[in-house]
Amino acid sequence: MGYFNDTAKALRTTMVNAFREPVTQEFPLVIRPRAERFRASFALPDDEHGEVACIGCLACERICPSRVIKMKSGGKKDSPVTGKKRAYIDEFVLDLSACIGCELCVQVCNSDAIVMVRQPEVPAFAREDLVLDMEKLRANAKLKTASWGTGTRLQEMQEPPKAEKPAVAKASPATETAPAPAPAKETV
Amino acid sequence: MNELVHGALYGTLIATAILSTIAMGIWFERKFAGRMQQRLGPTIVGPAGLLQPFADIIKLLQKEDIVPRDADRGLFDLAPILAVVCSLGVAAVIPFSPSIIASDLDVGVLWVLGIGGLMVIPTFAAGWGSNNKFALLGAMRAIAQSVSYGVPLVLAVLVPVVLSGSLSISGIVAWQAQHHWFAVWPIVPGLPAFVIFFLAMLAESNRIPFDIPEAESELVAGITTEYTGAKFTLFYMAEYVHTLVGSALGAALFFGGWDGPFAPGLHWMVLKTLTLFVLIYWVRWSLLRFRADQLMRLCWTWLTPIGVALLLVSAAWVTFGGTN
Repeated sequence: MGYFNDTAKALRTTMVNAFREPVTQEFPLVIRPRAERFRASFALPDDEHGEVACIGCLACERICPSRVIKMKSGGKKDSPVTGKKRAYIDEFVLDLSACIGCELCVQVCNSDAIVMVRQPEVPAFAREDLVLDMEKLRANAKLKTASWGTGTRLQEMQEPPKAEKPAVAKASPATETAPAPAPAKETV
Repeated sequence: MNELVHGALYGTLIATAILSTIAMGIWFERKFAGRMQQRLGPTIVGPAGLLQPFADIIKLLQKEDIVPRDADRGLFDLAPILAVVCSLGVAAVIPFSPSIIASDLDVGVLWVLGIGGLMVIPTFAAGWGSNNKFALLGAMRAIAQSVSYGVPLVLAVLVPVVLSGSLSISGIVAWQAQHHWFAVWPIVPGLPAFVIFFLAMLAESNRIPFDIPEAESELVAGITTEYTGAKFTLFYMAEYVHTLVGSALGAALFFGGWDGPFAPGLHWMVLKTLTLFVLIYWVRWSLLRFRADQLMRLCWTWLTPIGVALLLVSAAWVTFGGTN
């Protein structure tokens, strides 16, 4: 008897469902709103003088867990804008096909020279299309909106709270664990 | 008209109609199944995805025809064709209206059961010819199932035969048009017999919940594991033809065929057949698969004894002159 009840229940469920509005969103035609902190591809933005901000320190190349970043330092030169001496890069290649999106490269960057961008990546039809060279990364910086996270902001946010110097040995433990500063609100 | 000319003409007509219905039936099934799962189903090819079946067929026919190295080539090639022939052959004796029938055999019911029962031959030919363990296991299960469910199927079909006193399907339909539909009156052998017929038909056409011969999670695709392209299309088509013809048979034997409350004719038969067809899809997308032993238990400990009892009840009904 239990089987008959279950059968009836199953048939009823499917029939009720059949007259409900489908929940499908037809993706390429209808794009759902992205989450506020959604980010996908990368960009190499300019510094405040309008030059490429990257100084080729190799920090991102070293920390990348999947080794998708390859760069070539261009050595130190006089900047044509400010006249001061600074380091440049000749080549910067980021292979999105193996990137895991951990954003570690952004976190370690002291010169805020690599950021993630908020627009979704465009599907590619060949592997080569997923390799972002300097040209593409610079174009991304111009065309797409950068996410809130930059190296210095993220480092500041994750810095351990500055413990006050214990004047007396029996300082209360509550003061030692001050709450971390709240992350600044994303403004894009 | 000469009988041969009549048969060829109407046979072609009915076969074409059935195959076109199946093309649209596949579209309908995908839409319906999608809605049941709160999806949309096909939407891209043509308006509301209406051209999807044709896209599917073109895709299937373009595919490479792969034959396994150790396959039994003769059986392997013959099986899909036989499957379509056996399932379409049943349609020959089904009256779609008083005049639209390919061949009005006096032993139509016998023909239906015989040709329908022959389906085990292409099934086993495919399973054996593929030289694949999954295909062979699927074929063995399919045969066990078809042979077992043949018994309740015959018993259920015999109820209208006994009640109307005719082995011709058009005779049975004509009897129902004069008296009552068997699913309505006499309700005791009639309606339960239809339920048994329906279950046995689901099992014969390997439909969920009785699709253990091609249980995807256990047997890859059962007998069609090694089939590709056009041959797979034929098997796929045979399955749908079997389902549709089974629906038509149920409509003719238990629901009065082309008879209706007013204006009897082809449209009533089409309506009833398609209603049963939809019912099969509804069941298919709602229920889970039986286990092989549960399937056999249902057949031999429930459907067969009940079928025998119903046959006896209908014989008693006729003998003691029940009101028609």
